[in-house]
Amino acid sequence: MQVTTELGEHLARYLDLSVNEAKVTASNMANIDTPGYRTKGFDFGSEIAKAFDSFEDPRSHLVNMHEVDGLVSRPDGNNVSIDRESLHLAEAQLKFRTGIALLRLENQRVMDAIRADK
Amino acid sequence: MNLFGVMETSGSAMRAERVRAEVVAANMANAENTRTESGGPYKRHHLVFAANQPNLNFGDSMHTVHLGSLDQDHVQPEGGVHIAGVFEDAGASLKRYDPGHPDAGPDGYVAYPDINPLTEMVDLMSASRAYGLNSSAVQAEKGMITSALDIARS
Repeated sequence: MQVTTELGEHLARYLDLSVNEAKVTASNMANIDTPGYRTKGFDFGSEIAKAFDSFEDPRSHLVNMHEVDGLVSRPDGNNVSIDRESLHLAEAQLKFRTGIALLRLENQRVMDAIRADK
Repeated sequence: MNLFGVMETSGSAMRAERVRAEVVAANMANAENTRTESGGPYKRHHLVFAANQPNLNFGDSMHTVHLGSLDQDHVQPEGGVHIAGVFEDAGASLKRYDPGHPDAGPDGYVAYPDINPLTEMVDLMSASRAYGLNSSAVQAEKGMITSALDIARS
């Protein structure tokens, strides 16, 4: 018998990636005053497509990180932007909450099926 | 990968910014200090931040994160920030003519620390802003953890 659904698996990967996004953003925020620090990030769209296509454990999935360009550098070589990071954190938070809401619905669906005879 | 790791990252920044505010406070408190243990006037202190060794793949970050490690100063969560050191300003001190002063040199000039209240205030404001930014990040992470707990509740 199988109680985990395909949507559940996908949502797990989605949640994992949104936590990664929050982590990268928090790390950029933490280094807002570090001289020479460059903003890091990854492309959520291509990473989620990669995660959905792979059959391996989502936790072993490696995120392709890169330095974000197109940001204005300060004289000390740091290019962290408060606005960009705040926006990304809010975005990651919303993605995470969306994933949680969908996962709860999915679990509810499975529970309904289990209790269908009552 | 876990959500508490995100909190540690923001926590490391809050700790670093608080130390920065302390250094600014010490600089301002000693702005007129002409006597120190090492002799001569107080020297302005600089704080240097450095990024923790980034772990770009996140895969093996699980073992670095454990609860209760936030209060240990030596813990450097990946992606966070740490204080590389506190350095004394190498610049010359300010000379003010005051022959009656006990610390005046033979020429009648007293060496005062070269501390500009304006730069110190700007530094303090920037530290306080960065502290607030990271504390709002912690707030966001708390919200995420709380919502994750809702999965179990139905």
